[in-house]
Amino acid sequence: MIEVKELTKTYREGRGIRNISFQVEPGTSFGFLGPNGAGKTTTIRLLMGFLRPDSGRVTINKLDCWYEKTDIKKLVCYLPGELHFMENLTGLDFLELIAGMHCESFPKKSRDYFVSALDLDINVLIRKMSKGMKQKLGIISALMLDASVLIFDEPTSGLDPLMQKVFIELILEEKNKGKTIFMSSHQFSEIERTCERVGIIREGTLLAVQCISQLREAECQTFEIEVEREADAELLKQSELDLIPIHGANYLIRVAGELDRLWLVLAQVRVKRFKQRSLELEEAFMDFYR
Amino acid sequence: MNRALFRAIFKQYRKKVAAISTGIVLYEGLLTWVYPVIARNPAVTEVAESMPSVVKTVFGISENARVDTFEAFISGQFFARIWVMLMALYGIQTANSLLAKMVDDGTMAFLLSTPVSRSEIISTQVGVLMSTTTILVVATIVGLYFGTLCSEININHRRYMRLGFLGIAFFSLIEMYSLFLSAWFVEEERALTYAAGLTLAFYALDIVGGLSGKLSGLKNFSIFQWFQPQEVLEGTINPRRTFLGLSAASIALWYLTKKVFETKDLTI
Repeated sequence: MIEVKELTKTYREGRGIRNISFQVEPGTSFGFLGPNGAGKTTTIRLLMGFLRPDSGRVTINKLDCWYEKTDIKKLVCYLPGELHFMENLTGLDFLELIAGMHCESFPKKSRDYFVSALDLDINVLIRKMSKGMKQKLGIISALMLDASVLIFDEPTSGLDPLMQKVFIELILEEKNKGKTIFMSSHQFSEIERTCERVGIIREGTLLAVQCISQLREAECQTFEIEVEREADAELLKQSELDLIPIHGANYLIRVAGELDRLWLVLAQVRVKRFKQRSLELEEAFMDFYR
Repeated sequence: MNRALFRAIFKQYRKKVAAISTGIVLYEGLLTWVYPVIARNPAVTEVAESMPSVVKTVFGISENARVDTFEAFISGQFFARIWVMLMALYGIQTANSLLAKMVDDGTMAFLLSTPVSRSEIISTQVGVLMSTTTILVVATIVGLYFGTLCSEININHRRYMRLGFLGIAFFSLIEMYSLFLSAWFVEEERALTYAAGLTLAFYALDIVGGLSGKLSGLKNFSIFQWFQPQEVLEGTINPRRTFLGLSAASIALWYLTKKVFETKDLTI
């Protein structure tokens, strides 16, 4: 189990995280969402024992992530947010290095499975690899060792949509094997598909920890609407609908729960264009950002 | 020391070490090839003897040492200045690349995500530094043996070997304080600036201290006082104690580096 308790870490320039607490139960997956600079990577650095907490405690399977940082790595595999490799090695050399440092017999079968799933030529020199290829190599190195806890910092950045889909499938496979997964991202869709619970962080403060199912219950429906006349726009503004102007006579209308009130208002105006937005759950998540 | 990491890091540096070794051996070949011609010309000895002591200091020739021997020639032309600066620069730059640069550019993140402790990583990096330095020193000494053999120059092989051991200990000390500064600052540019600045300051103190009797006390503040190749090659000093002292200082710095790195915050 991952347990983060009243964790605070402030950098010299003032940024950091403040008083963060959450738990990730064994065999479950936890998504950590937030905009750039919110404190996601700082939290992960504390989980990995790269930083010492100013106060509070962070443990994995009851091992302290700072004082027992070497023992923790026997349980954990990690994918950093920004990937930097020893450029003169080939992909294969790098995978052998990571496996060797984990003191395990080389997991060739597992490695080959992930190499084939992500379609990567591991005999290429790393310095000749594209960003996407490097990202795949990092993912393979984290998954091939069969660790019980996986920590990923923005794992799909640099991957094309097809490979993002493959990655999500691989993560779901790992989840079915009973692994504990902690994944940071600012892409809501991948968290939605892979995690049971989500923590939302902004400016170093944890705003909420919710089940994806809870978020679904609270989800808003969003509609894009264009009206013909100014009088229609005035009528919309006077209504009690949650109205966000986009441009001209175009508006966003957000409705939580029943749609009766929306239909009643729309019956009084001439609608030129009406469209339902598809990322309703993301809208619920975006509420925390506003 | 971690074997898998050692293999991977060593692979990164082997081409560089091979290139430097080749350069050293070729330069030594040139020096040993021209020496017999110079030695046969008495005017060269006269010129060398008439040199003011200040000029001798600048070229790394000891003030009271002979100038008509191969040892004086090879010390002045290679060991006392060119070799020492080349090896010092190699040590400073490599120590920095093995630690501060890897933290700075994030390469260390993958290494520290494995169950290998920070001190074991430091020990592995020290292993790479020591082994590559040893290879360069061995190439230097063996290259010189070969050059003198081809040019039929008689040398005392044991004294050259002693210089090799002293060189390994001396360059290790420079590498260890560079590594220590890397662990202290964990920032490539600052660590490199301080390590290079410190070495240049030691070097300047050694040169300025040799310019006149009044300033000779400055040499006592420089680590270069412990690296006198001409005296070692001529057999006027035995470097055993210096070797042991330098090695002890390097081991102490290695220990301190591990302690400092173990507790550093790493933003990787």
